[in-house]
Amino acid sequence: MSADLEKQLRAALRAVEPPAGFAARVSARTQHGRWRRGWLPMQQRWVPTALAASVLAALLLGYGWQTHRERQGLQARQQLIEALRVTGQKLDLAYRGVQEASRPSDDTGA
Amino acid sequence: MTDGGACSVCDSLARARSGDASAFTELVQRHQRTVYSLALRMLADAHLAEDIAQEVFIRLHRKLTLVQSDTHLLFWLRQVTTRLAIDRLRREPRHELLPLREDPGIAAESADGDPLLQRHLRALIAQLPPPARAVVLLRYQEDMDPADIAAVLEMPVNTVKSHLKRSLASLREKLDGTPGMAAAAERR
Repeated sequence: MSADLEKQLRAALRAVEPPAGFAARVSARTQHGRWRRGWLPMQQRWVPTALAASVLAALLLGYGWQTHRERQGLQARQQLIEALRVTGQKLDLAYRGVQEASRPSDDTGA
Repeated sequence: MTDGGACSVCDSLARARSGDASAFTELVQRHQRTVYSLALRMLADAHLAEDIAQEVFIRLHRKLTLVQSDTHLLFWLRQVTTRLAIDRLRREPRHELLPLREDPGIAAESADGDPLLQRHLRALIAQLPPPARAVVLLRYQEDMDPADIAAVLEMPVNTVKSHLKRSLASLREKLDGTPGMAAAAERR
């Protein structure tokens, strides 16, 4: 019975062909995969990476430059405000000096 | 296989490795029967079997440089096919329990046997646990000995032998329990 069962198993498990066009479908998929992986030759695979790194570096430099310019602008504005404040104080002092000089003294009429 | 045939295979392998698409297609055509049949009997579903078989050859295409010879190629194909099929069965266990109705694509009745008994046997094999099923398929479909099966499935030889013994006992028991089938098996 055992040998017979084994014989029956071999007959039942005889290999079958895949559906027609199987090899063509596999080839089409491998070609598609190759196109996707091989859009640039191996020696030039660094190009996209270098491009991306350059763009990133340019963006970072631009951002740094912009921040630097904004900081400089703020400093200039603060300096201008300080200068205007000092000038105002000086003008105020000068005005008071002129006022005092032009006021008649109290002891002349007494 | 004759020496000329083996050389032709080596030649196809070498040319496929160097990027020759037609040589790769030759390899696919040479081994598609083995790969597809293994996947089909593991999964008992013609569409899933084609999916798995295609995936096996796509992986082969990517790993061609690692394949050293035609013997290694056949070993690699059997190993990857069974592994992918077992993984699929683990992910989708609904395929583990199959009805006795058989997909027309699975049938491959040989002229020298009882078609009803063969169909019944295939349905019973499809109900074995995936590792045991893989062992039975490699033994009776691929005609491999337990040591080679152990290497393909990366399991000890004694485990392979025990899977075989238990699977045969289970198949025999189920056949005996099916009216008409035991008698049909005895008649053969």
